[in-house]
Amino acid sequence: MAIEQPALPTAMGAGFRRGVWLTWATLLILLAAAGYELNLDFGYLSQKLPFLLGLKLAPDGFIQGAALTIFVTSISMICALGVALITALGRMSRNPVAFAIATFYASLFRGTPLLVQVLIIYLALPQIGVVLGGLSSGLIALSLNYGAYLAETIRSGVMAIPAGQREAAMALALPRWVITWKVMAPQALRLIIPPAGALFVSMLKDSSLVSIMGLWELNFLAQSYARTTYHYMEMLIAAALIYWALSILFELVQFRLERRFARGVAVAGGR
Amino acid sequence: MSIPARTLMVAATLLLAVMAAWPTWAGSTLERVRRTGVMTDVLLDSYPPFGFIDANNELDGFDVDVARAVAARLGVKLKLTTPAWEAIVSGHWQGRWDICICSMSPTRERAQVLDFPAIYYNSPAVLTVHRDERNIKSAADLSGKRVGVGIGSSYEKYLHQELVIPGAPPLTFPFHDVIVIPGDESINFRNLALGPGVRLDAIVSDLATAHTVSLSNPALRILSSVLYSEPNAIATEKGDPEWDHDVARIIEALKQDGTLVRISRKWFGADITTDGH
Repeated sequence: MAIEQPALPTAMGAGFRRGVWLTWATLLILLAAAGYELNLDFGYLSQKLPFLLGLKLAPDGFIQGAALTIFVTSISMICALGVALITALGRMSRNPVAFAIATFYASLFRGTPLLVQVLIIYLALPQIGVVLGGLSSGLIALSLNYGAYLAETIRSGVMAIPAGQREAAMALALPRWVITWKVMAPQALRLIIPPAGALFVSMLKDSSLVSIMGLWELNFLAQSYARTTYHYMEMLIAAALIYWALSILFELVQFRLERRFARGVAVAGGR
Repeated sequence: MSIPARTLMVAATLLLAVMAAWPTWAGSTLERVRRTGVMTDVLLDSYPPFGFIDANNELDGFDVDVARAVAARLGVKLKLTTPAWEAIVSGHWQGRWDICICSMSPTRERAQVLDFPAIYYNSPAVLTVHRDERNIKSAADLSGKRVGVGIGSSYEKYLHQELVIPGAPPLTFPFHDVIVIPGDESINFRNLALGPGVRLDAIVSDLATAHTVSLSNPALRILSSVLYSEPNAIATEKGDPEWDHDVARIIEALKQDGTLVRISRKWFGADITTDGH
């Protein structure tokens, strides 16, 4: 069977990897040099860093800063995944009502700005009697918005599996759940993980929208400190670097998952 | 209709029923504050010296001290929360918050969605220009100029010649066709500091804000003539006259016993809480 080898850097030689590290290091040094030109107040930066990172609790005893950002993103990721699975099923269903609900939802939430969705859930729902807290409004908005995108990613992954795979499994008289979880899911996941990882990295940054509801996450604190004390560059750069570090962590997890699900392909390709 | 479709219909009906039956916490603010023993106050997190996050990462400022004094008088705990300004001024809090001691000017439009039980300080609106500005000497020179204001602020209304201060004589607007640039107030000040007319020609803001900013930024100059004096009120959710009455009574008591003057002196070195200028 002709399935192409996945193009992962691990497949390359040591020379390639050394080249990558050297280039990364050079680019980082250039970036740091550019940052140094800005004459940042590092004293102020180190004073605010523990708060930005969320190493201390907010005055109301809740988590804050990067810790809150990670919390909001993780919960929304899990909920979005659930929403997306159901939507993808509806999207591939032959039932007209299920199909219509899934496509209507996906179209509505992909076709309107996340900021508007956040504001509607937080400000408009109370007018029909549903008063949600800031945190739950933010989680719902992020989950619904990203669930809609993720549903399409999941669907495309499932659709990309050749029909012969399912047919062969059926010819072997495998039970339905085995076909779904042991034949279809592992192959689909290989295709779903890279774009899903990209979605979660972008969700990490979009989680800053919950600051509208008075949640003291990373972006909220950085902007609030910046406005109050006029240390704009220090705070914006610190927030940007923390977001970057977090998304690198996300990418590492994604990379491991990719490798995990590519194993089957490597075996199949090596036959 | 196939089974999954029927299941879906049942699920949809159930969802609608749950949403309709969702408990609403709207109702008497006073009753809620008494029952919970907590007064939830909304304020701004980056509006020094009225409300800001201090070096210890605590909310601090004039508004915070006033809120503490009000809560102490009521004998309840104070809970502070800092949603976006748009969320506060759009009203319809539905019991989310009890009070806003957040430097709000009681405009006619806001009075349609919020109650203003008490005025707690007056702030002069002033013009700030760049140090090297030569042409702008008063509000009359603002015609055709690019003027920054806080988005959704009463200063924005003033430049659009729409500001009406309830209970005060009508304002005069000695300018026309001002290019109003609404935005984040502190970003506006940064833009003005770039040079006269680079991004902005002038800024209309509260004197206390302009004063605080100009202390750390020598490129800015506050014009001495006051545009108008603006009352700042405590805002509450519409529809609880008893709560409004209590708030008004407490503010009057804090004025009488000198608490407000003391807080004002602490933050401004002057009394901004006495009526009139």
